[in-house]
Amino acid sequence: MTTHSTVREWGDHHHARKRKSAFVSTVCVLSGVLVVTPLALVFIYLVIQGAASVNGDFFTQLPKPSGELGGGMANAIVGTFTLLAIASLIGVPIGIFGAVYLAEYGSPKLNWWIRFSSDILNGVPSIIWGIVIYGLMVVPMKGYSALAGGVALGCLMIPIILRTTEEVLLLVPQGYREAALALGIARWKVILQIVIKTASRGIITALLLAFARVAGETAPLLFTALGNNFWNRNLLQPISALPLQIYSFATSAFDDYHRQAWAGALVLVTFVFVLNISVRFLTREKA
Amino acid sequence: MPSPAAMSTPSTIAEQLAFDAKDVCVWYGEKQVLYNINLGVRPKSITAIIGPSGCGKSTFLRCLNRMHELVPSARMEGNITLFGDDLYAPTVDPAFVRRRVGMVFQKSNPFPTMSIQDNVVAGLRLNGIRDKAFLNEQMENSLRLAALWDEVKDDLHKPGVSLSGGQQQRLCIARAVAMQPEVLLMDEPCSALDPMATQKIEELMQEIKRNFTIVIVTHNMQQAARCSEQTAFLFMGKLIEMDTTEKIFGNPAEQQTEDYITGRFG
Amino acid sequence: MPQSHTLHNFDQALTNLRNTVLMMASLTERSLDNAMTGLFERDTHLCNVVIADDEEIDTLEKTVDKDGYDVLIRFQPVASDFRQVIATMKLSNNLERVGDAAVNIARRVKKLNAHPALPEVRVLEPMYAEAKAMLKDSLRAFTDGDMEIAMALKPRDKQLDRMNKDIADQLTDAMPKQPDQLRGYLNLLFVARALERVGDHATNIAEDAIFAKSAQDTRHLNPLKE
Repeated sequence: MTTHSTVREWGDHHHARKRKSAFVSTVCVLSGVLVVTPLALVFIYLVIQGAASVNGDFFTQLPKPSGELGGGMANAIVGTFTLLAIASLIGVPIGIFGAVYLAEYGSPKLNWWIRFSSDILNGVPSIIWGIVIYGLMVVPMKGYSALAGGVALGCLMIPIILRTTEEVLLLVPQGYREAALALGIARWKVILQIVIKTASRGIITALLLAFARVAGETAPLLFTALGNNFWNRNLLQPISALPLQIYSFATSAFDDYHRQAWAGALVLVTFVFVLNISVRFLTREKA
Repeated sequence: MPSPAAMSTPSTIAEQLAFDAKDVCVWYGEKQVLYNINLGVRPKSITAIIGPSGCGKSTFLRCLNRMHELVPSARMEGNITLFGDDLYAPTVDPAFVRRRVGMVFQKSNPFPTMSIQDNVVAGLRLNGIRDKAFLNEQMENSLRLAALWDEVKDDLHKPGVSLSGGQQQRLCIARAVAMQPEVLLMDEPCSALDPMATQKIEELMQEIKRNFTIVIVTHNMQQAARCSEQTAFLFMGKLIEMDTTEKIFGNPAEQQTEDYITGRFG
Repeated sequence: MPQSHTLHNFDQALTNLRNTVLMMASLTERSLDNAMTGLFERDTHLCNVVIADDEEIDTLEKTVDKDGYDVLIRFQPVASDFRQVIATMKLSNNLERVGDAAVNIARRVKKLNAHPALPEVRVLEPMYAEAKAMLKDSLRAFTDGDMEIAMALKPRDKQLDRMNKDIADQLTDAMPKQPDQLRGYLNLLFVARALERVGDHATNIAEDAIFAKSAQDTRHLNPLKE
């Protein structure tokens, strides 16, 4: 046997291997740093630019008319939440029930088409939704409205919720369904009370991810909600939203608006950040 | 060759069979997996179904509570009656059948979002029974029947999944018997358990057979020999022989049965 | 020839068990043969051989029983395998008793050989031939599963019992005629009795062989006791 000499050869190549290993490790670490750096830079820059402007006024005051100092984005913040609420009314039921259909019922052929369509829709640029809803709602209703904005965002939400919820439902082990059915429980009850309940944490994360994605969308709102410098009292009227207001302020000529735009950007990014952290928290491994 | 059905006819005319399966054939799509199964299950006793992997014993078991219908391509022909009632009549709701015929699976599956006590009465509650007193009573009775009460009575609020494997399986048995079914089907209930846990379940089977008819599918022949009164041997989708356990394991009539149980083929 | 077991160890264990008991059988037959030859040819040396060989027969009985237990514990055999193991263990017990019968004969023969020959010794020849044949046939029933031979053993045993009774009568008649040979006649009586016992054991072996083959328990079936 030539094991003796082979082991010696291994020893000789040991240093070369060590160098190669160190090189690859360095590349990996650098890549990791490269990914985190832009995120850190953006956040730090936003903090530098906007932290000073994030104050009580920002959260409670309406925007002041052109150029006047002070004011805030209270209506934009409320508007974002309003739009998310309307969007949920459309996105959540369709998304979840669609996912239930895909996971629990459905024929293989039809399911394939549904998933395919959903994936395509997911990739459609969000501005397309804005234009579509403009044609379908804003024009016939002869006006921009919070409703149209919510619908546009809702349509954007559907594919995200659908696919994630479906995956989560498919992760529920078949054994639970069988056990429940074997107890003589009706199928719809099994889906509602056992499957969905078991997957509830995953479904909530799907919803949070959808919110995080949609909360920052500006393009679809340009043609539907339009924006509003005042409180929205009627859903059939235009409404403000954080991204819209940031866009509007940032492109204006006034320095004070610029300052508030930074603050808005910081708040928006923080909001998305918090949503994502919640998702991580909810999906953590139980000790 | 004596017909297997003849072996299992009741000794008195008055004793009705728990299950009477006649000419049961099952297909999954184009593939036939059961060929003209004719057998009778005696009430208030334990019947074991043995046979090599893929012989159709689990499929047959699932026909007894219409669980095979969960597979979309499954098709059954033939007739199965439960104490005289046709289980496959067009007007019969499968959910209704499953309330009369309970099932315990190979891998224990207590509902993860429910506590121990909620698990036990899950079937009752989700079938519309709300009476708290009744539910509590049933919960305790079922846990006692499943020989689990003493071990969990102080921890009823703990999640069902916090129990050990053997305890979880007994919890599933409690959940099934809480429905007060007439028959309990067990699909290799001990194959994932250690010997101690297995013995506890075999012991509780002997206790509860006074109240329920039990049909157990097992690939462990010693278990079939220990636990059952009747044994049916299935091979490649056909019923080869069915008789008392002593006869099957002591002096079977069919050479195929003898070859299988003595380990002369896999 | 039935298919062999999937588990090779199991087959081997069963074969070992069978071979051990067959070795015991041949030793036992030889001992019986030696003892009776010692009687007919007045050969005391053969009798000593019989007494010495009994130790080996006893050891083999223990070996068969132990090996049998081991097979039962390890392999939990069922059906025909199980019956075969039980029958083998019972066979060894029966053979051990036949061995003891041979020793009894040998001891009696030694005493007989110490005195002048008795002409009545020849009377035992037919009975010995039949007892020897019965033993051989019972063993054949066991090894070959021959049910016909096995079933025939019980009537033959009855025949043997009658032969014993006849010899006993003959010897008892001869006793008063030659009172100084009394001890000798008594020893011959005991030898005949031992041969009758060999017949009983052969019948037991046949009954166990029937059970091993067909799971039928044919013991104590005859309601008429003699």
